Amino acid sequence: MSTAATLPRRAAAPSAAAASARRYAAFAARRTGQALIVVVLAYVLVFLVLAAIPGDPISAQLDSPQAGYTDAEKAQIRSFHGLDRPVLVRLLISLGNAVRGDLGLSLSTSQPVTAVLGAAIPSTLALAVTALVLAVLIAAVLGLLSRLLPEGPLNGFVRALPTVFLSTPNFLIGLVLIQVLAVNLGLFSLVDPDSAGSTLAAALTLAIPVSAQIAQVLITALDDSAGQDYAEVAASRGLPPAQVVLRHLLRPSLLPTVTVVGLVLGEVLGGSLITETIFGRTGVGTVVQKAVAAQDVPVLLVAVVLSAAVFVVVNLVIDLLYPLLDPRLRGTEGTR
Amino acid sequence: MTPTSRRHLLQGLGAGALGLAALPLAGCAVDAAQAGGAADAQDQELSFLISNLDGGWVPSKSAISSYEANVWQQLTDKLVHTDPEGKVSPWIAESWEQDEDATAYVLHLRDGVTFSDGTPLDAEAVVANIQAWAVGRPEEGLARVGLFPGSTFEAAEAVDARTVRVTFTAPTLSFLPTLGYHGCQLMAPSSLAGSLEQQSDLAFQIGSGPFVLDSWAAGDHVRLVRREDYDWAPEVLGASGPASLAAITFTVLPDDTLRASAARAHQTDVSYNVNPQVLDSFTEAGFHIEVPRYLGFVHGYNLRTDVAPFDDVRVRQAFTRGIDRAEILRTVFTDAWEPATSWLQSGVPEATDLTDLFDYDPDLAASLLDEAGWTQRDADGFRTKDGVQLGFTIYPTPYLTGSVPEAELIGQHLGRLGIHVRTQKLDIPTWGERVTNDPTQGVAEVTRSFVDVGTVAGVVTDEGEDWFAVGSSDAELVRLRDEVAGAVSREERAGVVDELSRHVLEQAYFIPLEQNVQRIYVQTPGLSGITFNAVAIPSYHAATKEPS
Repeated sequence: MSTAATLPRRAAAPSAAAASARRYAAFAARRTGQALIVVVLAYVLVFLVLAAIPGDPISAQLDSPQAGYTDAEKAQIRSFHGLDRPVLVRLLISLGNAVRGDLGLSLSTSQPVTAVLGAAIPSTLALAVTALVLAVLIAAVLGLLSRLLPEGPLNGFVRALPTVFLSTPNFLIGLVLIQVLAVNLGLFSLVDPDSAGSTLAAALTLAIPVSAQIAQVLITALDDSAGQDYAEVAASRGLPPAQVVLRHLLRPSLLPTVTVVGLVLGEVLGGSLITETIFGRTGVGTVVQKAVAAQDVPVLLVAVVLSAAVFVVVNLVIDLLYPLLDPRLRGTEGTR
Repeated sequence: MTPTSRRHLLQGLGAGALGLAALPLAGCAVDAAQAGGAADAQDQELSFLISNLDGGWVPSKSAISSYEANVWQQLTDKLVHTDPEGKVSPWIAESWEQDEDATAYVLHLRDGVTFSDGTPLDAEAVVANIQAWAVGRPEEGLARVGLFPGSTFEAAEAVDARTVRVTFTAPTLSFLPTLGYHGCQLMAPSSLAGSLEQQSDLAFQIGSGPFVLDSWAAGDHVRLVRREDYDWAPEVLGASGPASLAAITFTVLPDDTLRASAARAHQTDVSYNVNPQVLDSFTEAGFHIEVPRYLGFVHGYNLRTDVAPFDDVRVRQAFTRGIDRAEILRTVFTDAWEPATSWLQSGVPEATDLTDLFDYDPDLAASLLDEAGWTQRDADGFRTKDGVQLGFTIYPTPYLTGSVPEAELIGQHLGRLGIHVRTQKLDIPTWGERVTNDPTQGVAEVTRSFVDVGTVAGVVTDEGEDWFAVGSSDAELVRLRDEVAGAVSREERAGVVDELSRHVLEQAYFIPLEQNVQRIYVQTPGLSGITFNAVAIPSYHAATKEPS
């Protein structure tokens, strides 16, 4: 009997799992398609906006009176760069080339845009990943301490730290770290901004304000979980506070925390410009800043679309992670 | 995913994150250890911090850049060397002849010179270079070198393997000195033949200089190493054979505070272009400061005479007489800066001391403004005429350190005379559009170099850049321009240049400020043997560095 009773359940379980997987796959495909459309639309929009801005480095250089070029020479050079064609024709050519992997030449340096950004991306990735990891670690320590420390001045101090971190400009943190660690203690070299020591100092500069936002959400979520019945039951069973926090409070608090980690990624990438400048790193932020200053449209276009793509991908990953992190979301709003 | 596997995933992620974070922590210690241990090996290597290398490596674009030129100078040679006093001496061209009307030149080349890829630097190679400087390939996006006398260029031909003949359609006295200009660097024909994209890669560029490329990364660094078989340095550098330094690394650090900090921490040998106001602290700490002046115009303003209030010569003269230049030098700059004595840098061989034509005289300035009818005052104390306030805006050049405080100080000086001067700082592209290429802007700041004084003929009237917007209306200016442009001997031309300079300053078309310093080099103690050329670019061929 028991065998007969369990057989239908065994048959039904894979079927339900397969249906759930199919729903998830359809959801993932739909969200990926939407993400691709957003990236293409971003490309078109950014191209049109940049095309509307007057001026470019080629014309600025050619038109400078001291350059002494004739009108015919100026026209030939503009024509070589396609600057004499209508905007829509340029857009179509640009899109077609982009699909084939040809992102054009920088108007400032004549290097392929892929080479310009390709050289900058590793530095930005190293900085952003290290900063994000540090920010999560700092936030996790603050969040856990806020629950583990007994109520009192020390706990109050820990809970006040995120506000202090958030209020401190990262350029100030960076300059203090450079002065103390590099100039006074000689722990890293200013001449080699991509060294591990310099990367760590830059990442810490970037991570401190970012960690504050994660810590605030984590502390609030932990406090919220602590007020739930299951937490009180766990505590009443005599479990040590650390076990209560780690086993029963932390997991339910992860969902809002993961959401905010996704959101602060924008902060990490945006804030990287200031940090890169302070520490003399050549990353995507610096490339964008220079492209803006020089009106280097091909570089700017790809950099902005790349940033948009990063946001789209991060949001996509978070959307796809929700159902995996919280089984209650499977087959509900997350996969609708 | 089961709860267990999720937990493992999260635990794995956490462990990975901790590992990642630990790597750079360990790196701090490694950096510090490497910095200490590597000191001996780096004794004869030069570290050079520079604010940017953003101009790219297409020679016709970046060779004249204040930044990339520091690299090009070590990688390439020139036909002649032009020193800071404008004296031309042999380099790859060991001798030359010029015909009587300065329209034909014959260059005799040094024997045995090769590019770093082993190909000979012979007459054919020189012809290919002159063709690139004079004409370029604009249909392929490759411009010619702007300041090469391309408008009168006719042809260049190889007479034999070591002789080149160059002809012009009109007298071109500027040809020889321009060969020492930083735009006229000799590249291997294979590099010149490359496409725009190929030429943007520094590794594609082959020169014949004392250093060769070791590695480079865009916007990050360029590392050069000594060329062991180099043996054709110009005599004026004071050394022959290969360079003394084993290597030079140019590292980009955009922030000038950071470059200054790195110099103070002895983490570099040369820091390029730091704020002039911190230079005294470096001198006190034993650093050597080089502020080489170059041939060209002094730092100053040119005024457009078709824009009010500069359409009245008395207002222009009051402007120049109302500036206390001594106070500017005391307040904004250091002792290394010197006063202007003309609208030409004092190193220009044809420059004469014309200070009395624009010296500070506030009483004279006030009486000139009264005479011009600017006698009323508004509620703010500024002069008015027919209800119009006497004033204008200065947009300081973004290319020159110190131009903003200098403009603000000038605003105070002229404010005391009742002239309302507004100062607005702009970024480089906006400055280019609003000032350089805008005919309605009355004041334009000048920081222009040249290697031959004949350049002045190309800026003063509408036969050229028409800096003062006088067109051909100033007959005296037109006459002087024609005489400078048509001169066939330097002696004859020098007298006319003096006359032209006097006229420009008497008419207050140009407001001189101080001798132009566009490049500042903070050098570590113990570095010597550096030579600067006519446009203040250093050569490190003969440089030596004391072991630390």
